[in-house]
Amino acid sequence: MIARSAAIAGIGATEFSKDSGRSELRLAVEAVRAALDDAGLRPSDVDGLTTFSMDDNAEIAVAREIGAGELTFLSRIGYGGGAACAVVQQAVLAVTAGIAETVVCYRALNERSGRRFGQANTPPGLDASWHYPMGLATPAAQVAMAARRYLHDYGATTDDFGRVTVAARRHAATNPAAWFYGRPITLEDHRASRWIAEPLRLLDCCQESDGAVALVVTAAERARDLRRAPAVVCAAAQGSGPDQFVMTSYYRDEVAALPEMGVVARQLWGQSGLTPADVRAAVLYDHFTPYVLMQLEELGFCGRGEGRHVIAEERLPINPHGGQLGEAYIHGMNGIAEAVRQVRGTAVNQVPGDGPVLVTAGTGVPTSGLILSGA
Amino acid sequence: MTETIEAAARRIAEAGPSPARPARDPVNRPAIRDWLAAIGDANPVYERDGVAPPAMAQVWTMRGLRPAHEDLDDPLRGMSAVLDEAGYTSVVATDCAQTYHRYLREGEILAVRGRLTGVAGPKRTALGEGWFVTTESVWEVAGEPVAEMRFRVLKYRPGASAPVRSEPIRPVAGPDSAFFWAGVEAGELRIQRCGECGALRHPPGPACPACGALKPEYVVAAGTGTVHSYVVHHHPSLPGRRSPVTVALVDLDEGVRMVGELRGVHPSIGARVQAGFADGLPVWGPTGVELPSWELAVTPTVIISSALATRDFQDVHHDRDAAVRRGSRDIFLNILTTTGLVQRYVTDWAGPEAVLRGIEIRLGAPCYAYDTLTFTGQARGDEVAVVGRTATGEHVSGIVRVAS
Repeated sequence: MIARSAAIAGIGATEFSKDSGRSELRLAVEAVRAALDDAGLRPSDVDGLTTFSMDDNAEIAVAREIGAGELTFLSRIGYGGGAACAVVQQAVLAVTAGIAETVVCYRALNERSGRRFGQANTPPGLDASWHYPMGLATPAAQVAMAARRYLHDYGATTDDFGRVTVAARRHAATNPAAWFYGRPITLEDHRASRWIAEPLRLLDCCQESDGAVALVVTAAERARDLRRAPAVVCAAAQGSGPDQFVMTSYYRDEVAALPEMGVVARQLWGQSGLTPADVRAAVLYDHFTPYVLMQLEELGFCGRGEGRHVIAEERLPINPHGGQLGEAYIHGMNGIAEAVRQVRGTAVNQVPGDGPVLVTAGTGVPTSGLILSGA
Repeated sequence: MTETIEAAARRIAEAGPSPARPARDPVNRPAIRDWLAAIGDANPVYERDGVAPPAMAQVWTMRGLRPAHEDLDDPLRGMSAVLDEAGYTSVVATDCAQTYHRYLREGEILAVRGRLTGVAGPKRTALGEGWFVTTESVWEVAGEPVAEMRFRVLKYRPGASAPVRSEPIRPVAGPDSAFFWAGVEAGELRIQRCGECGALRHPPGPACPACGALKPEYVVAAGTGTVHSYVVHHHPSLPGRRSPVTVALVDLDEGVRMVGELRGVHPSIGARVQAGFADGLPVWGPTGVELPSWELAVTPTVIISSALATRDFQDVHHDRDAAVRRGSRDIFLNILTTTGLVQRYVTDWAGPEAVLRGIEIRLGAPCYAYDTLTFTGQARGDEVAVVGRTATGEHVSGIVRVAS
């Protein structure tokens, strides 16, 4: 049982930049230490580590650097940003099963100054051979295929994508930790930004960042006795859809949909007993604006093709920290940290109330989600 | 230096359209005859009706060998001067999209207005580091717009930086997909078919998700389908490719979907397309009538006579030593001639009475002296997709719009 058995007891992060000037491993160490400090725990308390693939920060390397002792739980989740909430689920499962007591989830990357995911230089594997050589060699181009179909199926416009990024930048403008702090944009700025992969413009794509975020997960019972108010995990889910590909699930009936997020949504509502109406704020993975609209639909906040109205009418507080479009692109981990701050009541753009906060992970890939709330 | 160039680009773009610059000579029969002879176009309607071939639009306002004065009001001239100064002294044209509102009559005097619409760089290209300069021109006769053109050139630094020639991304074949790539080599579009239950599937895999059998076979697709969605990729540049690249997800008539580059068709969801093959990949093109192919032996005489008949006196089109100095293998066709050859190819097929509304082309590999240029085309509705290839690759691809 996931329900309310574990909690996020500490969060930590480095600064978010375009050139950290340090190794990814060092960023990981800094974030993990900060998260442990936040929780009032020591490196020697850590007995579990879980992270993403696509980097060189092995669990054992982080354990060595922070001076942790024995580990009883080590795990990694693949599929890029889709792992964000799944690493927390891993930690919850380990804690709930009694395999580990203190599990740290972390993600560190020099995605701007080091390996940039948006460049068309990845040699294709077997699956990618159906897409990369033909010209779909970047995440933006791969998402653009679904985005074009979305516009066609629902009569949406590129302005509907633009409103997502305008809102994110408005929030980032008042978040000192955000890269785009103090730099809001208008819909006109979005319209004037250059094409990356039509129908996506530059301002439909999240930024590229260097930085790290870490989260400390422990039993809810224990978290209550630690330094900070716990963010209890009400639900934690992973999901993959039928005929799933990485960013190119073009071969199932609907291209303009994210059924893997539907799989996550059903579990989140089922585990927590909550409904979309209960959600106080949502932190939705926003590497590309069209997927924010599709997530709203898959999560049940609105019907198919209606995500744009949720955004335009500001029906739901979304990404109060500015998201990855505005704050930083740390593969969604900074979004989970924001959800914890919203639960604690310490966010810079605090959404009033004490209702639960929803978080999602990278879309277009096997994905994941969380619902957090106060104790 | 980049800032200087970008500042100049902003200044010139903000200045807007240039004042109308009149052609030196009116539209005239001797020039038309020289052009028709150089292009090898035997269409009799021009002399019969006293009109100029539409692809000559740009010829009338070319400056000639010794322009009376350096016309820096012209946005392309102005921008070129800035780039010359910065060391980007060589030029090749890369794209030309012309729209013809009507044919021009002998005796009419054209004037042209140009404006700068884009300067992008510095880019590493196969020729060297350079900047792409895009302009839009409108030709007028007594204030009446008669033709328009979007024109893009690459201003580059010859031989200054040996460019890293990046290779296009190649597919990886495995035991479960080798049949598909062997099909591409054989000119067949193959779809996996379960040897047990007959279910079709793409992309392929070792097992049938419908019945579980491990008995993959294949069928050869008809190659026709409908565009389900598409992308126009702009940034970042793809290795070994020129942006933009249009890629379509196509519902094949057999019921599976497949991704491929879309060429020679303006992209739209629902458009019918036909599979073809290029560079070891499936590509989508227009469905429709296949034009007979046409081979042209590109002699130095063809290159030089057509360069002069289009009033293009750039040395790379008539002086082999100069061309070699600038990094070329030999003299090569100018873009005005390529436009003319595309026009001739289509009107030779469509008949003398066909009226062209526009020619939109993009240049790839240069067409050098002694190359053989082979044109192929497909007509669909009032558009004809044309490709011209030499032994080294695609020299030109484009779409010709014919009045219906």
